[in-house]
Amino acid sequence: MTRNLLGRSFLLAMLALGSRVQGEEKIHVVATIPDLAEFAQRIGGDLVDVKGLATGVEDIHSVPMKPNFAVLLNRADLVVLLGLEVEHAFLPGLLEASRNPKIQRGMPAYIDCSKHVRVLEVPTRIDRALGEQHPMGNPHYNLDPLAMKEAARALAEGFGENYPQHKSVFQSNLKTLLADLDKNIARWKREAAALKGKKLVSYHPDLVYLAARFGMQIVGTIEIRAGVDATPSHVEQLIELMQREKVDVVVRELHYPAGLAETVAQRTGAALVGLPVMVGGVPGAPARGGVPEIIRSEGGATTEAKAGGPPTCSYVGLIDYDLHALVKAVGEPRKS
Amino acid sequence: MGIVEKRRASDSGVHRRTFRGLALMVICAVLGRAAARAQTPDEMQKEIQTMKQQIEELQEKTRKQAELIEKLAPPAKPASGSSSQEGAGAQESGQAAGAKDAAAESEGQPADESAEGAENPELTAEEQRIVDEVIRQIQPSLSAANRTFPSQFNPAIGLFIDMAFSWEENGGSDFDFRSAELGLSASVDPFARGYAILNGTEDGFEVEEAAVVTTSLPYSLTVKGGRFFADFGRLSKFHDHDLPVVNRPHVLDTFVGGEGQADGAEVSWLAPIEQYLSLTAGAYDKIGADNDRVDGNVPRDLGRFTFLVRPATYFAVTDASGIDLGASYAATPRVDSPTVDGAGTISDEEARHLVGVDVTYRYTPLGEAQYRGLVIGTELLFNSEERDVGDPGAPDFRRRNAWGLYSYVELKATRRYNPGFLFDWSQDLSRDEGDTTAYSPYLTVWLSEFQRLRLQYTYLDQPGNHESQVFFQWTAILGSHVHGFRDR
Repeated sequence: MTRNLLGRSFLLAMLALGSRVQGEEKIHVVATIPDLAEFAQRIGGDLVDVKGLATGVEDIHSVPMKPNFAVLLNRADLVVLLGLEVEHAFLPGLLEASRNPKIQRGMPAYIDCSKHVRVLEVPTRIDRALGEQHPMGNPHYNLDPLAMKEAARALAEGFGENYPQHKSVFQSNLKTLLADLDKNIARWKREAAALKGKKLVSYHPDLVYLAARFGMQIVGTIEIRAGVDATPSHVEQLIELMQREKVDVVVRELHYPAGLAETVAQRTGAALVGLPVMVGGVPGAPARGGVPEIIRSEGGATTEAKAGGPPTCSYVGLIDYDLHALVKAVGEPRKS
Repeated sequence: MGIVEKRRASDSGVHRRTFRGLALMVICAVLGRAAARAQTPDEMQKEIQTMKQQIEELQEKTRKQAELIEKLAPPAKPASGSSSQEGAGAQESGQAAGAKDAAAESEGQPADESAEGAENPELTAEEQRIVDEVIRQIQPSLSAANRTFPSQFNPAIGLFIDMAFSWEENGGSDFDFRSAELGLSASVDPFARGYAILNGTEDGFEVEEAAVVTTSLPYSLTVKGGRFFADFGRLSKFHDHDLPVVNRPHVLDTFVGGEGQADGAEVSWLAPIEQYLSLTAGAYDKIGADNDRVDGNVPRDLGRFTFLVRPATYFAVTDASGIDLGASYAATPRVDSPTVDGAGTISDEEARHLVGVDVTYRYTPLGEAQYRGLVIGTELLFNSEERDVGDPGAPDFRRRNAWGLYSYVELKATRRYNPGFLFDWSQDLSRDEGDTTAYSPYLTVWLSEFQRLRLQYTYLDQPGNHESQVFFQWTAILGSHVHGFRDR
């Protein structure tokens, strides 16, 4: 009797599961970072259901490998990533745990958005003595709006390759997204004119693309090498270099601690500014109208179209926040 | 100007410079020889004339070659009229120019395309500078790609070096070369990947793991076969150098037999539900590198294999914290039990049951994952088997149940310094002797992601031995490394 009951319950559960799966028609997309989740949502429109892994406040090199992420990836039809091995601390392990063969590396559903990006800082020598190198080059291109246009193109291409029947929709949405970005890029260029020629030091080489795009010069990093925490002798050398070069700004990416960055800024007279490096990095970062809002959901971040909503987080909001903070910082008189 | 045109013009520019250089060299050589031999003015003039003639012949030959290249090259693209030359860092200000520049830049970014359409077949100095700059920028990428290409099919290789200095109150001191583990991994084909851990220690060299894992089975299934660490519990699946402490807890050494090494096959399944739930089932010769209850090297009936089942799940408490929960059951229907004098084993045809429950709580503040965190892990084990409790030469097998557990807490206090504490308790499997208890405070110092120092103090309280121990461990990783889901 008990065995029959158990058997029936199992059968009913499986049938319910089957009907649920059949009832879902949307394309399930998992994006590694909120920036790409937003782009995926805008390009996929109503055809997609997007889930993000990182919420935006993390250091992308240390996003926790949560088992419920493996569940999201298990159901994913497409996975969208920044690429250049920046997700190596969590994505390969999660993909293996997902047991989803169609989104594994090299498959069409594995959409690497770095495909068309002109990569900076490609190392000419691969050696751990040089820090935690990214052999394919600096992967933090998401802070460069022009590079992200290339990412959007790769994303739309990937969507179209996997779902050719919707290709025209993806391309049309891409066009709208690119036009929106172009409009903002023009504005950002005007608004960030004051940054040209200014010198900065960041904690980690997160700002290489942003600085290059808006004409800033990166003098060094607080980390002794990428991914290797500073030593006292390195800090002294850095301060000496910054004083010699008259560095204007010290940038602390918000996932790094404040103490050392404050010390370096104080001793050199440079302005200190804390910047998010991903969408959602500062909850409530102001966004322009018509841009989707990033909201938290169980298992990570996801996107929801809420045009004209309250101050929120979006890619445009992220770049607005970073550029305005930098412009304000370089406008401040030096303290020494 | 098209790329082909630029290359062609660049070639002719190179030729011109080459000839100028050649001429200079020839003149220098002639003058040098003249000075050396103290030639007469007539002789010198004659020799210079000869050299001039040779240079003219060379120039004519090169001109013909250039014409030939031009004929063979594809026709030039029509002029586009665009004059934007922005690179990655270039920018212009101005309201009207902004949107146009943005649109121009967005069309693929490359600066070399933006100069298309110039009519002049010869490069100006500025154009040449741009070409040189572009080549200079892409050359490192090309060089890096060329260097790595020949080894693309080789497995990823990593080497773990693990050494320790130990001091034991009753046992003295020792420099312990714990292991040099060579890890290899690569895809086998579209259907499987493979990996191996080859371990060299003071005791010799062994294949610690070498397994093939499927990658493309349907229904969220994975099959693993070969020699690997069975999916029993938590820390028994960790290699020594990956443990959060210097030494594996005594309870795992006693109950599992050290590392959970097993020769066999496993099937793992991820349930298609919202909740993370994985289920593993396996069959092995035995589980435990130091487990000698079964001789895994001889053919035998299925009753002398070990069978495993393990469900594991995860509960997210908050965005920053969660609990991993797992249960493991390994059964060996018939085992050979060690005799009380330790001289050998006797087949007593009775089953052994090994059960474990493991709980791991993790707190990882999302915005400070590299600097703050907390891990609390506990594993409770239960062993039931027939043990020889008789006298030497007169075995008397009785079923004995034994319990054991370890608990550890590790704090990520800074990016570098992680203090922790391990408590370890286990009953004697035969219940003849008293319990073993160990208390181990420790401090791990991460010099970088690839190099780690660890200082550990242990107070060991076991039958016949009560002592303090101190360990200083130094571990380094060379080459490739992966962040595995199981080892997180």
